[in-house]
Amino acid sequence: MTTKRNEVSYYPEIQSFIETQLKSNFLVKRKEELFVFWGIGELKSNLIRILSENPEKCACIRNFVRNVPPLNLDIFALVTNGKNFELLILEVKLLKGAGLKEWSQLVGYCLVSKARYGLLLNIDDGASSRLSDILSAEEHISHIRTIIGDTFYEHCLGFMQWDSLTQNFEYSNLGYIKSISDLSDQIFNRFAEN
Amino acid sequence: MNTDKAYLLGLMVGGGVFGHAEDAFRIRLPFKKWGSYLENPQRAGQIAGDILRKVGQMFRAIYNLSVQYEATKSVWTILCEGDTTSVKRDLMQYDIACEGRIWENTDIGKIVPDLTDDNLKRRFIAGLADTIGSMAKSHRRFTDEHQILSIEIRGFRFNAVCNLCKLLYSINCIPDQVIWNHPNIHCTKNPYYSQWHKGFKLRILLDQYARFGAFAFRTKAESLQANRKLQQQTHSAIRCEEREINVSPSTVHPAEHHSRLPEIIRGGHYLHFCHICAAMGCEHAPANEVKGKFADLGKFVIPFPILCKDSYAKINEIISNDSLLANRVYNKRLASVNGFLKIFQNDSTALIYGTNNENGYKILEVLQAIAYIIADESELNGNRPRGSYISIIEKHLNTHPALQVEVRVPDLLTPLVFYGNSRGALVGATNPSVYGRLIEFDRDNQFKFSVRKITEEDLRNDN
Repeated sequence: MTTKRNEVSYYPEIQSFIETQLKSNFLVKRKEELFVFWGIGELKSNLIRILSENPEKCACIRNFVRNVPPLNLDIFALVTNGKNFELLILEVKLLKGAGLKEWSQLVGYCLVSKARYGLLLNIDDGASSRLSDILSAEEHISHIRTIIGDTFYEHCLGFMQWDSLTQNFEYSNLGYIKSISDLSDQIFNRFAEN
Repeated sequence: MNTDKAYLLGLMVGGGVFGHAEDAFRIRLPFKKWGSYLENPQRAGQIAGDILRKVGQMFRAIYNLSVQYEATKSVWTILCEGDTTSVKRDLMQYDIACEGRIWENTDIGKIVPDLTDDNLKRRFIAGLADTIGSMAKSHRRFTDEHQILSIEIRGFRFNAVCNLCKLLYSINCIPDQVIWNHPNIHCTKNPYYSQWHKGFKLRILLDQYARFGAFAFRTKAESLQANRKLQQQTHSAIRCEEREINVSPSTVHPAEHHSRLPEIIRGGHYLHFCHICAAMGCEHAPANEVKGKFADLGKFVIPFPILCKDSYAKINEIISNDSLLANRVYNKRLASVNGFLKIFQNDSTALIYGTNNENGYKILEVLQAIAYIIADESELNGNRPRGSYISIIEKHLNTHPALQVEVRVPDLLTPLVFYGNSRGALVGATNPSVYGRLIEFDRDNQFKFSVRKITEEDLRNDN
């Protein structure tokens, strides 16, 4: 008998896939190790946990953790090389056509947490036609730049479909992040800049 | 290199074809019956979806190329269009010439060092498996119990296949069989069969591939699941180093000297696919197991056709073109088919018309020759019997219990000749003490030996 899966049951396979791809790409590009730490649920408390469990590798997030507000998320990844870090927020949905509502949720999370990277992932289905149209036509919806005080923030978002059969992403070319290798490049370039 | 490019590189190496157009190239997917829109229209629709949604979106994301497809009865073609400069630059980085069929000019040995971890290797292999990995029913062995993914490769690029095999091995996709494009593998009984070059097949147990390999095409992943469900058990591959090999006698084929075979194996006779692996220098080959078979080479190497079935005229031509066969004195007789069948039923390994206990003609091959000779046209598919050869013989004996065939027994142990129904057949003898003396080992390769041409003197000096 097959039981209907909920979206949370897909988290482990999606986490594993993304982490493996990021690490592979980092190894090819930078010839050094990349660390990916995952949190499910509340952001701040998860970051505190990750920092306490990995004080040396995650020392670079100490200041960020102090200032980040509490925020309930689906999943997030802290990607670090020990010197620099980036946050990647995943908004995972199991819907017939993920729409603007789900995209707005991701945008909100990224703006509040100041995470630079966000992916809206729909399991075994794509985006609604309205969301597809908006993301195709309006680049600023997926590449958001803000200035808070004197600080410039950039948020790069993308939409992908998780194929639970092949355990792989189906790209949509919707949004600023086109592929996992594109996401990898963007993160590594940031690390290289700093 | 990155994880997406590794997959696309696998696709392009597996099926890429470059023509004269600067702004386009094709990826050929030889899906044959499995992907035929006539045989399975539902799957064909899904393949189209895979091409557009998986491959198309990835090519667009990575290389900004657009993708369309064409389908014929047995081949799907992905047409990639746009500015191909980046693709060509990436391919040329691995010395892959963007001309004609990529596989024919590619040795993945240059790509492998950039596949720096198991994940990148898996992504590259997924691209190959999506193009040239076949799960068609015809690959199944005698039962449904061992389901297989067969990676099918044309041409004579033995080194490239060896490198691919090692790449698969490195991520635990241990090949169950390597069907080398060699006459000793494709054509073990008939040295006059010239269409032996049927390509390479790297066969991997589906259970093994499911654990360690990957597909991006949903259609392939679905076939993998469906085929695995036919099995009662889960099967693990045996590491090549630990393999036991079973050797059957094979004929010496003139194409062992074929100019397109690589020098390292050209001119050699090979007993088993693992023997070729060893001669190619693969570190995983079961070297001691292969060498163990060298003690009895006279049993395994037959310098005559083991069984050759053809028209009466062709068999006559073969005999007249070979002085050893042509100069024989043949004792022509009509022999009882039922007599041969009784010998077989009494001992299926029996040798007949020999000069001692060790030599003679295998009754099993004799009966196959007889079945071919007496069969009605409707009972044959080309030279092959439809159904079992024993059932053909039994059926004809039921109608004609006293059925006889014309057999010509030579004065020396050259092939036995059968004629009838405008057909002919040759059956070579087992003669280990004589054949063992024909073996000549290579000085530079401990796994390579050749078989010199047998002479009348060899057969007369059968002590």
